[in-house]
Amino acid sequence: MKQTLLRRHQWHSVGRILLNIPLMLVILIPLLYTLSISVMQPDEIYTNRLIPSSVSFENYVRALTGSYYNFPRMILNSFIVSTTVMLGQMFTCSLAAFAFSFLEFKGKRALFLAVLSTMMVPGEVTIIANYLTMLRWGWLDSYKALTFPFLTSAMGIFLLRQYYLTFAKELYEAAKLDGCSNIRFMGSIVLPLSRPALGALGAYVFLNTWNQYMWPLLVTNSRHYRTVQVGISMLYDIDAYSLGLMMAGVIIVIVPSLSIFVFMNKQLIHGLMAGAVKG
Amino acid sequence: MRAVQRKSDARGIRKGFLDTVEPYLFLVPSFVVFGLFLFYPFFRTIYLSAFLTDKTGQPKIFVLFTEMDNYLGLFRDPSFWKSISITFQFVFFVAFGGLLVGLTSSLLTEKKFPGSDFATAVYAMPIAIASAAASMAFKMILHPTNGLINHLLGTQINFTGDVRYALASVVGVTIWLTSGINFIFISAGLRNVPAELYDSASVDGAGYWKKVWHVTIPTISPTLFFQIIINIIGAFQSFSQIKLLTEGGPSNTTNVMVWSIYRDAFFNFRFGSAAARSVILFLIVLAITVVQFRFEKKGVNY
Repeated sequence: MKQTLLRRHQWHSVGRILLNIPLMLVILIPLLYTLSISVMQPDEIYTNRLIPSSVSFENYVRALTGSYYNFPRMILNSFIVSTTVMLGQMFTCSLAAFAFSFLEFKGKRALFLAVLSTMMVPGEVTIIANYLTMLRWGWLDSYKALTFPFLTSAMGIFLLRQYYLTFAKELYEAAKLDGCSNIRFMGSIVLPLSRPALGALGAYVFLNTWNQYMWPLLVTNSRHYRTVQVGISMLYDIDAYSLGLMMAGVIIVIVPSLSIFVFMNKQLIHGLMAGAVKG
Repeated sequence: MRAVQRKSDARGIRKGFLDTVEPYLFLVPSFVVFGLFLFYPFFRTIYLSAFLTDKTGQPKIFVLFTEMDNYLGLFRDPSFWKSISITFQFVFFVAFGGLLVGLTSSLLTEKKFPGSDFATAVYAMPIAIASAAASMAFKMILHPTNGLINHLLGTQINFTGDVRYALASVVGVTIWLTSGINFIFISAGLRNVPAELYDSASVDGAGYWKKVWHVTIPTISPTLFFQIIINIIGAFQSFSQIKLLTEGGPSNTTNVMVWSIYRDAFFNFRFGSAAARSVILFLIVLAITVVQFRFEKKGVNY
């Protein structure tokens, strides 16, 4: 009896594995195929092979050293922009979240509603007006244009505020009685305690900024300020030579994203769930 | 108490003043950014939509409620209605296709099996992949002569350049891109289905599909509803796939709203008309959000 139960359990497992394989392939094939093309010799891509006869890193070398594209500069740009936006949001959002959770002031409710209302406006709706602002200010082709508009977010304020609200109010009151200033209380107690929430915000914001496409496309023209997502599409041309180049570019761009996914999975999903709680 | 303190010494007064002002200082950085890059451009967009603009986007002639009105111009233009229709088709297929893939992957990993952790990671993975990078990968897969799909089918179909396949291609890419978030939310919903519900259904002799249909789906219907809304709003905002795979073509068959905004502004330099399109996009998304709030209050459950 026990034997048959065990066997049935094993069969169920086998069945599950077999059912999962096709769907997993659908999700994985775009990446595996990209990887495969990226390590092919350029002339092999023409022969419609699925798997390269030998592994060649020529496409990667060419993508990274081609002086026309200056891909390393674009990678650097994306790192600078994503890190700035990430740190900026951590800073501005924790300040605002602190006020919204610990302090009492006139118009608190109205201001918080104003923050939440920004979630109702898709970025694409304001993108033209924002572009025109950049044009008027002469900010096109600059790090300012790539970072400034994203230095805060309702999602970040919301996420951190939810976390701060779990802190005991007595903690704050006790600190106040001891003459601890708000800034000091924030720096020495709130921020160290809210590391998990800050991690979630950071992982989510870094990834989102790294993955941005439309805004960097609009506000950058010179190769000096282009980011990687815009850059890979520039590696594209019709001949087989550049197909491999483009696929190498895609892999290079995906590696940081996947690393965040693998190493900061929990934080990322936490941030994602907070980000999606909106209209 | 505080009033007494204020009267009694100068330091008290300064402290009182600081106490009132300090909270706002905490909000200044965020509200400067919101003000300059969200509230201002939002109202600026509405304002611009009432004007004809010059090539640098400066409002020149006020045309609201005149013959030259940007909105009127759009409503009279059959290609605008075609764009709306294509957007709705695109959004519909992406929202439900994404939901179906998410539900399938969630049900497939509901119970543990050897390798289920890996499968879970694979299904969630698309959340990390940029739409631009994925679009380039799919550009290769869909390539008419060297692409994987044509290679497997032994055909030479121009997926992104043929009116019959272009919309389906970008829908497929978008479903792939959104499959991760669908999986994460739906599988989180599944974990909250009480085991007793399944047990009592088993006692009643219900088979697997009966349980899924009569127990699982009704129980997680709030999650599914929420997820459809997320899919719809996300799909309305799609741009990279369109830009990199079809550029709105062939013959406007993938000309979704965000693409038409982009083209109006940056190909035709008609910023007033692009602003009008943006306002319409905003109103549509707003309407969907309102519907969501209404339903969430009632609760979608059986």
